[in-house]
Formats: sequence, C-alpha cells, structure tokens
Amino acid sequence: MKHITKIYGNGVLANDDMNLELAESEILAVVGENGAGKSTLMKILYGLEHPTAGEIYIRGEKQVFKNPQDAMKSGIGMVQQNFMLLPPFTVAENIVYGNEPRKSRFLFDRKKAKAEVDELSERYGLGIDSNLVVEDCPVGLQQRCEILKVLYQNADIIIFDEPSAVLTPQEVDSLLDTLRNLAKAGKSIILITHKLNEVMAVSDRCIVMRGGKHIATVKTSETSTKELSAMMVGREIVDAKIPQATPGKTVLEVNDLVKTGEAGKPILKGCSLHVNEGEIVGIAGVSGNGQTELLHTIVGLMQADSGNIVLDGKEIGGLDVRSIRETGCAYVPEDRNTMGCALKATLSETMLMAHQYEEMFNHKGILKHKTAAERFTALLEQYDVKYSTLSQLSGELSGGNLQKLIVAREMSHHAKLLIVSEPTRGVDIGAMEFIHNQILKQRAEGGAILLVSSDLTELLKLSDRIYVMYDGFINGELKRAEAKPENVGILMMGGSADD
Amino acid sequence: MDINYVLSVVNSALRSTTPILLAALASAICTRSGVFNVALEGQMLIGSFVGIAVNWVTHSPTLAVLAAIVAGGLVGALVGILQVRYNAADMVVGTSVNLLVGALTAILLFVVFGVKGGFKDPALVPLPKVKLPVISEIPYLSTLFNNLSPLDYLSYVIAIVMYIYLFKTVKGYHLLSVGVKREAAESMGISAVKTRIAAVIASGCLCGYGGVALSMGQVTLFAENMTAGRGFIGMAACNLGKNNPIAIIFASLFFGFSDAFAATTQNTIPSQLTQSVPYIATILALIVFSRKRKKKATKTEESKAEAVS
Amino acid sequence: MTKIKNAALHMFKVLWQPFLAIFLGLIVGAIVILIVGHNPITVYITMFQKSFFTLHYLLQSLTRSVPILVCSLAIVASWRAGYINLGVEGQMTVGSFVGTLVAVYMPGPTFVVIIAAVLCGMMAGAAYSLFAAFIYDKFNVSIVISTLMMNYIATYITTYFITFSLRDTSSVYAIQTKEIAMAMRLPRILPGKPFNLGFFIAIALVILLMFVVSKTKFGYESKMTGLNPVFAQYGGVKKTRVMYSTMALSGAIAACAGMLEIFGIKFRFVESMFTSTGYAWTGLMAALISGLHPIGAGFTSIFLAGMQVGGQNIQLSTGIPVQVATLIQSSIILFVSVQLFANWRKKSKLKAAADSKKAGDE
Repeated sequence: MKHITKIYGNGVLANDDMNLELAESEILAVVGENGAGKSTLMKILYGLEHPTAGEIYIRGEKQVFKNPQDAMKSGIGMVQQNFMLLPPFTVAENIVYGNEPRKSRFLFDRKKAKAEVDELSERYGLGIDSNLVVEDCPVGLQQRCEILKVLYQNADIIIFDEPSAVLTPQEVDSLLDTLRNLAKAGKSIILITHKLNEVMAVSDRCIVMRGGKHIATVKTSETSTKELSAMMVGREIVDAKIPQATPGKTVLEVNDLVKTGEAGKPILKGCSLHVNEGEIVGIAGVSGNGQTELLHTIVGLMQADSGNIVLDGKEIGGLDVRSIRETGCAYVPEDRNTMGCALKATLSETMLMAHQYEEMFNHKGILKHKTAAERFTALLEQYDVKYSTLSQLSGELSGGNLQKLIVAREMSHHAKLLIVSEPTRGVDIGAMEFIHNQILKQRAEGGAILLVSSDLTELLKLSDRIYVMYDGFINGELKRAEAKPENVGILMMGGSADD
Repeated sequence: MDINYVLSVVNSALRSTTPILLAALASAICTRSGVFNVALEGQMLIGSFVGIAVNWVTHSPTLAVLAAIVAGGLVGALVGILQVRYNAADMVVGTSVNLLVGALTAILLFVVFGVKGGFKDPALVPLPKVKLPVISEIPYLSTLFNNLSPLDYLSYVIAIVMYIYLFKTVKGYHLLSVGVKREAAESMGISAVKTRIAAVIASGCLCGYGGVALSMGQVTLFAENMTAGRGFIGMAACNLGKNNPIAIIFASLFFGFSDAFAATTQNTIPSQLTQSVPYIATILALIVFSRKRKKKATKTEESKAEAVS
Repeated sequence: MTKIKNAALHMFKVLWQPFLAIFLGLIVGAIVILIVGHNPITVYITMFQKSFFTLHYLLQSLTRSVPILVCSLAIVASWRAGYINLGVEGQMTVGSFVGTLVAVYMPGPTFVVIIAAVLCGMMAGAAYSLFAAFIYDKFNVSIVISTLMMNYIATYITTYFITFSLRDTSSVYAIQTKEIAMAMRLPRILPGKPFNLGFFIAIALVILLMFVVSKTKFGYESKMTGLNPVFAQYGGVKKTRVMYSTMALSGAIAACAGMLEIFGIKFRFVESMFTSTGYAWTGLMAALISGLHPIGAGFTSIFLAGMQVGGQNIQLSTGIPVQVATLIQSSIILFVSVQLFANWRKKSKLKAAADSKKAGDE
C-alpha cells in the first residue's frame, strides 16, 4: 500500500500518507490507540472503504478494490471484529457461505461442504465440530469459524481486526498459536490491535500509527512494549493514579439469584454479590455468561426465579423498573442504540427518559418542557456533549457524544447505585477518559457503582473489587491488589483461583 | 350424514384453499428474506382483475393466468422497490398499496367494461377442469376431486418447489441468509436489496396467481374488493405454518375448510353469521396455536411502526 | 414579527413535503383521468370548485370530513405507540351500533340518554379494540391481522342484528335501525344544510389529542414506546399498560367517529354504513400523509374529504368513478412514504454524519 490517504466526507483525516508492506509468511502488527486510523486503513485494503488518494499493489500488480469481493479475489481475507456469521446455521454451512459446493448446478451439497470443512480444519489444526449450530458456539469457536471461512476462500493475506477483544486470556493464547501456524503454512497476516503483549508475542514486524499518520515501523525483536507504547501515545504513559476507595455501608445486596431461560436453559445459577457506598465493583467475564441478565434482573427488566435483591435496605426483587429506579438505581446500558435511546427521538426526549416521573419535570401528568430544556442544556454542557439543538435526533449524534449524553442522563439521578455496562464501547479516547473520570467522581461522592465491561484493561483500572462471572455464577472475587489479567482470565474460563 | 355431501364439502374446501395457500406462500418468501409484506391483498386483487380482463379480451384462460401473474409481479415490484430500496415503512406501503389497487381495479372495471361494482359475462371462458384418469371413475374419490382446475393442483406443486428452493438450493440458502443477517450476506457480495426485491416480486407473482385462482376458480367473475381479506388470512396461515411451505399447506387447508363451512351452511344459518366464520376462525386459530414465542415476535411486530413517525 | 416569521418558516419546513407529494399524487390522478378519456385540468377545476370553492360544497366537504378526521385521530393514537390498529372500521361500527341502540331504546330524559349513549358507544369501541390488544398480549396474535379480521366480523354481526331482531320494519328495502329522537340529534349550524355541531366537536378532539400527545407524560411514554419499546421499558415505562391504554383510546375515538356521523347526519344505523363509505381507510390515509401528527391529520382529513366530495360530484357529472379520489390519495401516501426529496436533500448531511460516526467509533 502506497501513500494511502483517506479523508471522510466530514473532513476527518483518518489516514495521512500511509505506507505498508507485507511479505509472505509474515505477521505484521499494526498498533495504535483507538481512533489512530488502523481500522480505516484495513477497510481500505479490504475494499470496504475507498482511499481518497494512494494505491494498492499485490505481488507487484496494481489493484483497485471496489468492494470486499474484489479483495477476496486477490486473496485478501478479513476476520472482522463483529462476526459475519449466520447464527441459526451450522458451522459447515457458514464456512462455505458464498462459495457453496453444488450438485447438479442448483442444489446445495451439504455433505460435500461438511467434508471439505472437516478436511480444512484438520489441515490447519483448528479443531471444530462442523455440525454445531453457530449460535450455540462460544465466541472463541465462532472466531475459528470466521478464520476457516477466510481460509476456505483461499486467502493468502488475512487481516485480523482486534481479534482478542472478545476473548478470554486463555482463548487469546490459542488464537496466537493459530496465527503462528497460519504464518508457518505460508499465509501473510496483518494483526490490528492495541494490545502490545500480543504484538510482542507473535509479530515479526510492527507498524505504529497515531492520528492517522505512520509513526514508525520496527522489527519486533528490536523493540520493547515500553518503546511501542510511548510511540503509540506520543508521550510516556503515566499510570493514572486512582485514589484509594473508602467503602461505606452496603447499598446493594444480591443473594442467590437463580434464573432459567427459555427451553429450560439455566442463565443465572445462584449469583450473590454486594456493592458498598464509595466503591466501584467490577464484573468480569466473557460476554454471554449471564452478566447482562444479572443486570437486567437487578434493574427490573427481568424477573428472577428465586433469590433476593436488596437495594438501600429495601427488597426490590419482583418490583417493576420504575419502582426500582425510584428506590435509588440508575443504569447505563450496554447497548446505547437499542436500549440507551431511541434513535428517532429528539435529544430532549432521550434526556427525559426515566426522569418523566420527577416533580421537576412533571406536574400531575403534564410535562414541563421549559424547565426540562433549561436543565438539559446545562447538563449537556457540563458533560461536554457536542450537539446543535435539543430538537435534533439522537441518531444524529456521534457514538461518543451519545454515550456521554446517556451517562449524563443516568448520573443526574444521583442514585445511590449506579450500574454501568460497557461505558466506553466504541467511543473515542477523549470520551473514554471523560466517562472514566465521571465514574470516579461519582465514587468520590459516595456513590456505589457496579461496572460490567468486556474490556479487561478498563475493568482492572477502575474496579476496587472484581467479581468474575462464568456460566451463570460468580466464579470468584478479587480485590484490586489481587486482580491481574492472568488470574481473572483463569476465573473467566471457569478455573479456580488456586490453579 | 350423506358421505357424498361431506366429500363435496371437502371438495369445496380444496377449491377455497388455493388462493389462501398462494397468499401464504407469498408471505413466507417475503418473511424468509426479511421483508414484512402487507400488500398481499392488493397483489391478489390486481391478479383477479387482470385475469378476468385478459380472459374477456383474448378468450384464453392460459393467457389470463399468465397476465395475472405478471400484474401481481408488477405490484410486487412497486412494493419491493419502495420498501427495500427506499426504506419506506412496510405498514404504510402495504396499506396504501392495498387501497391503491382497490381503487385502480374499480376504475379499470369502469374503463374496460363500463360497469361499476362487478363484472360477469357468459363470454368469459372458465378454466378447464382436470379429469384425473382413474380417480374420476371411482365413485367417492370422483366427488372429492371433482371440478378442480389445474391451478388448484399446481399450487401444491409450487409449495413443494418452494420448500426445495429454500432448504435445498444454494440460491435459497442465500435468500435465507439475507433474512437472518443482512450484513453477513453483504460481506459475501450477496446483495440484500436485490434478493429482497426479487422475493417481493416473487410474492407478487404468487399473489397474482392466487388472485386469478379466486376470480377464475369456482366462479368466473370479478367483483370490487373480492379478495375480502384473503391476503391477510394468508398472512395468518403463513404465521401458523411458521414460514415453512409444507406446514403452510396444512394451515391453508384449515382456512379453506372454514370458507367451505361458511358456504355450505348458508342455507341453514343466516348468511350474515356464516360469512363471518372464516374471519372468526382465523383469530381462533391464531389464539389456539399460539406458542409462547413471544419474545421473538414482539420485536418484529413493534419494529413495524417505528419508521412511520 | 420574527416570531411569526419563524412560525411560518417552521410551517413551511413541516409542510413542503406533503404538498409536493400531493402535487405528484394529482399528477398520477391526471394520468388516470386521461386514460378514462377526460381532460384532467377541467376535471380538477370542477373537482375543487365542487369541494372547496363554493359555500355549499365547502360545507358538504367539512361535514364529510368529520368521521374521516376522527378516524384519523384514532389511527394516530395507536400507531404513534407502535400498535398497528387496522380495525378502526370495526371499532367505529361496533361502537356506534351500541351507541345508537342506547339512544333509540333507553328510556329517560334526553340529556341522560345522550350521555349514556356516548359513553356506552365509546366503551364498546374501546372494548372491541382491547380484545385485539388482549390476544396480542396473552397469545401473541398479531394486531395487524386480528384487527383487520374484526372489521369483517363487526360488519356481518351488526348486519345480522339489524336484518332480524333490531330492524326498523317501517322500510321494506333498507336494512337499518329505528331513527334516534329529534332532540338527540346534533344541532345544525345553518338552516337547511347538514353541516352541524359535529365538525366543531371533531376540531375539539384534534386539540385535545394534540395536547395529550405533546404535553402529557402519557403522550411522551406512548411515543417512546412507538420509537423504541426497549428504550421505553428501560426507562420504567410499562409497555403493556401503554398498549392497552392506547388501543382503548383508539377504539373509543373510532366509536366517536361513527357516532358523530349517526347523531349528526344519518340519525340511524344502516347496514354496512361504514364499510361502503370507507371513512376509516380515508382517515388512515390522512394520518399517514401527515406523519401521525394530530393537527396535520386534521387538515389532511379535510382535504381528503373535499377530494371525495369533489370526486363524487365528478362521478355524477362525467361518470369518472369516485375511486379516482382514493387512487390519488393512496399515491400521495406512497410519495410521502419514500420521502424522495427529503432524502435527496438530506443525503449529503447524513453521509457526513455517518462518516464522522465511523471515524469516531473506530
């Protein structure tokens, strides 16, 4: 790739004169902070985006990719962050998707598909049962499925976009093994990541990006994590000092929560935890191990089968959402687009949600729009949300700004318990820092905070205590001082702390 | 009760089933591709009208059926382009297309035949009836299969072909994939827009066929709004059959029977009451066969209105 | 002064699109009129003369707009919350049937009977739509299908009753109930014209619904449920309660639509009186053209009613079927639904927003 420049329609310069070379059997890491332009660069290589300027050459030949199919034809495959799998179909059906073996022209030869997939997974040592239905597979297996899909398309160059983001540390290890094997088998690999230990573990060379620019290309053997991170951030990293927590009395107590889902599948198998005033309690775990359901049960969106939940000395199990919120609970949900707002509602309508009962905004069923507007304007200013008018639609805000708006709305309850789920997923680094500071501020004011995040770095940074969830139960509790990626990882996999 | 009488009721049920079965299959192919199509009613009605109009002009039932299928497909194309290409809200497009076709057929009825309300003429050529070689000799079976047109038999073949298409072919797999996860399909270069528009056009053709089976099946005439909610009953049948063409056959037969029941009891019970039977049966069937699949269905139901406001 | 200017500007922003769609709809109608063999321009001129621009016809249009307008409000009430009620026709049939029976048969002072009739009618309409809500809640039966089926059921069952037990036997041909007493009829505004108080009641309902929709917690919660039910639930809104209350409201308003027609114009319940007139569907079209906005629905209803009156008068003079009006109206909705020109205008804006989002999310 030569002199790639990408300027988005709104004038954001995502890539500025980037160059990149890749040799056969090489693992090249592309590192940089969120928003450094790594993903954009890879999307250009994969044909998802078009460069404003610059050219792509493969084996000396100039290529123009109109779409991913063109890239695939040139032997480029990409394992994306959000998998492109079809949940109700089998692994084999998914892997051959788009290049299905046929019999008599029209019919889908599922037997042959299975045989080919089995052969392929054996050849690359990626053990997977091709009869499994994808929606029943854990994330690690789904990722393997994606890798096999790319291999089935005969890709020589495979791009991995933040592949470890959704995995447990142990799954990451096996992923890194896979990467090495693929390189040995002659595939060229580009690994996009911001996790430097992975870079050090597998890559041959490393490109550092910052602010859309190429900063340096170094041989991995000749550099160190410290040097890389300094280049990534542009300055030496100072670990933000987080003051010691001073926990007060218990605000939330959850005892032995049990919940069985549809078709008798257990979701929560007896969860107990507690959160005190003035502390941040994290819940770690691979997504899909019951964290979302646990939070939904606490806030009243779901009802548990048994167990009890005490908030501020009051039993709230079985109460509806509104009563629980009024008892003293606010919630920043994990998905801002589906639960945190209505994309077609105005900003003031989005801000009003769950405040519409308060006397400040409501007089006997009649809403006080004027008071609301004043209050919301002040709040949005305080939380540094960039918007034009209160009557614009939520869907028009950028991800970071919308997230800050939701955080502002929930924090302005000044509830005793603040539940925060994935507070910084997909937001830029400035918004992330801002949100972290707000959470810490809430703690300093004596708030009790329950934090769920799949970003282990974030969790370890903020949490004073960490519960690890695995398969619907709490598999361990660690204090800030004890919690390290390794032991949290073992607990996330269902192992025990003594291993 | 006379066994021949019972058999004649079954026979009448078989004939009433055809339009509903076709509408249900049309609904299924749309749903499978991820489109919610409420314009089935209009797609059928245009088929009913065009069938009779072409029959009147050419005196050829074959041409009439083909023209009806094309007309249904054209209305389907309109629906598909608006809903899929322009992201117009499905309920809005569906209800207005139904009204549009209702008005259009009434106007055309006046333009072509110079009449209002309905059109019936001895010059219209009815569809040929199939005489099964052996069965028509056997006393009871002959009553059962009496007077069925090729359209009736063909509709079951279509259901089976659709089953094979959806679950056994590569193209069918791609259509299902578009319905399951649009982005995944697009990542492999399968155009969701094209697939969906094609599915809606196919549904239009099926409905056109169903419509002509209605206007040229048991009777040969056209009346304003003669589909009378059959498009929606088809949606209900599709719902009961869980979008599976084979299961849909049985669901449609049920509605066909309730139609036949209404028709055969007219002499004993006031017709005002019997006429409402198919509609009551639809609601009851949906209640009785409701499994608590609530979670999934709730989502789709509510997403419908979303784009409206 | 600037306030007026801003208001005008706002009005223009809200209205230019429907107006464009109306214009395009009229073009579609013109093509059809050409096919039928008439000059569209002269036809349109007569159509508007005989609907809005003569007092006699204007009053006729306004009178006709009453049931349509109120039906459109019934649609607005339920569709805004995301519940697709296609059964306004059935609800107005059942509601006004019950209301008429009470008015005809209940003994007692006129005033009391009127109140009782209106209340019973509204309750019947609400109950009829609540049944659909109930089977959706408990058995997950699609509201779209059930409400539509219930239209046919309502028509046939009421016809059964007035054909037999409740028929006014003084007429041999017409299948209808007895007339309601003189004193219960809505007073006429001008002598000799059917235009009556009903129109002003309809306007009052518009204002009332506008208030509910924009100023109350109930209106806010139902709008949010319509836009994103998960978001609403997350904020403590009880979804089933919103469903039941909006569906009941919708059914009650639909019943009012039928009763205004009976108490103001027809004075009795006639066999399939609301099926043949298609008020509910015209109301649905008005609600959709106006984007489910109560005041917009009010104006649009009057416009569509005028087109129907004009269409009828054209049918009388030229023989062009009255359905031309429906054809024009439904094409208008299709033009509104694709928002062709808004998309074209907004495209560059949205694209920029999407790009910045991508860049930000990266």
